Amino acid sequence: MRILAQALALCAAGAIIGMTGNGFTPRPAPLGARVTSTAEAPGAMCQLPGGRGPVVPRISVEEAKPLCVACSALFVDARSAAEYQSGHITGAIHLARGEPADPVLWRLGVYKTVIVYDRDPSCALADQVAKALLERGAQDVRVLTGAWPAWMAAGAPGAAGPCAVCGEHAQRGGP
Amino acid sequence: MRPALLLTSRFALSAIFLYAAATKVPDMAGFAQDFANFRLVPPGLVPYGASAVVGIEVVLGLALATGFGARSAALAAGGLLVIFLGALAQALLRGIDLRCGCFGNDELASWWTVARDALLLVPAALVVWVKPDGQLGRSTTKY
Repeated sequence: MRILAQALALCAAGAIIGMTGNGFTPRPAPLGARVTSTAEAPGAMCQLPGGRGPVVPRISVEEAKPLCVACSALFVDARSAAEYQSGHITGAIHLARGEPADPVLWRLGVYKTVIVYDRDPSCALADQVAKALLERGAQDVRVLTGAWPAWMAAGAPGAAGPCAVCGEHAQRGGP
Repeated sequence: MRPALLLTSRFALSAIFLYAAATKVPDMAGFAQDFANFRLVPPGLVPYGASAVVGIEVVLGLALATGFGARSAALAAGGLLVIFLGALAQALLRGIDLRCGCFGNDELASWWTVARDALLLVPAALVVWVKPDGQLGRSTTKY
């Protein structure tokens, strides 16, 4: 029991030191303020955690929907292949984090805008894929706010099945 | 051999906890946001919880490094790791994409981070339960 009491005392001391020392750090945690999760913050869907602001421009479902209907933007699904197969934005290409971006890059001559989405309102996966595309030379890359759940909730166009285009490129082994 | 193993465990845990704290200190507000994204604590308590976690990491790291209350610190470190494990696992099971906030960078939470936390329980358990002579139980020897 003594060791447990000591462990609790160490934690209590640490907590006090942490809360006291917080004010002396370069970017202190805002004690006394409410910090909601990024996904729950009003009007902050898909902002990067840490309040650092989005590095990739955002696009709302309302703005993205007509681009999908008119096929004037390339949609990129950053979720897992299984999630893509069970349902995705019509015409979207599947491109998970870390996969070769060639199927998207080859189409940049046709589509000026690329819209990346994932499964969660915090958009962490979509951000990573979008950043990778920007680094590979894509000019106009956006991340869909609200992600796939918001798209579904808006009744926007969706489809199911494997990524035929990705398969085609995989079979060809490249351009 | 056993004292060397225990010392290594202690110093390894200490280094990891101090490093984790050091990477969070420059951006405590950012860590508070990472902390909030786990959606485990009411928003009003998030900044307190986040700064407390960093302070606890510092105190446990120092205790493990100096040997002052090392077994108690290892027990507390184990408890903290179990909490981290639970927080990460529940987020992954709920399908929440987030940064783990472990070392102040953009590392995403994954089952790898869960496994890494679980692995750290081994040195914590060694320091708590193994005596330098290899017996299990309460240690009476300072090491």
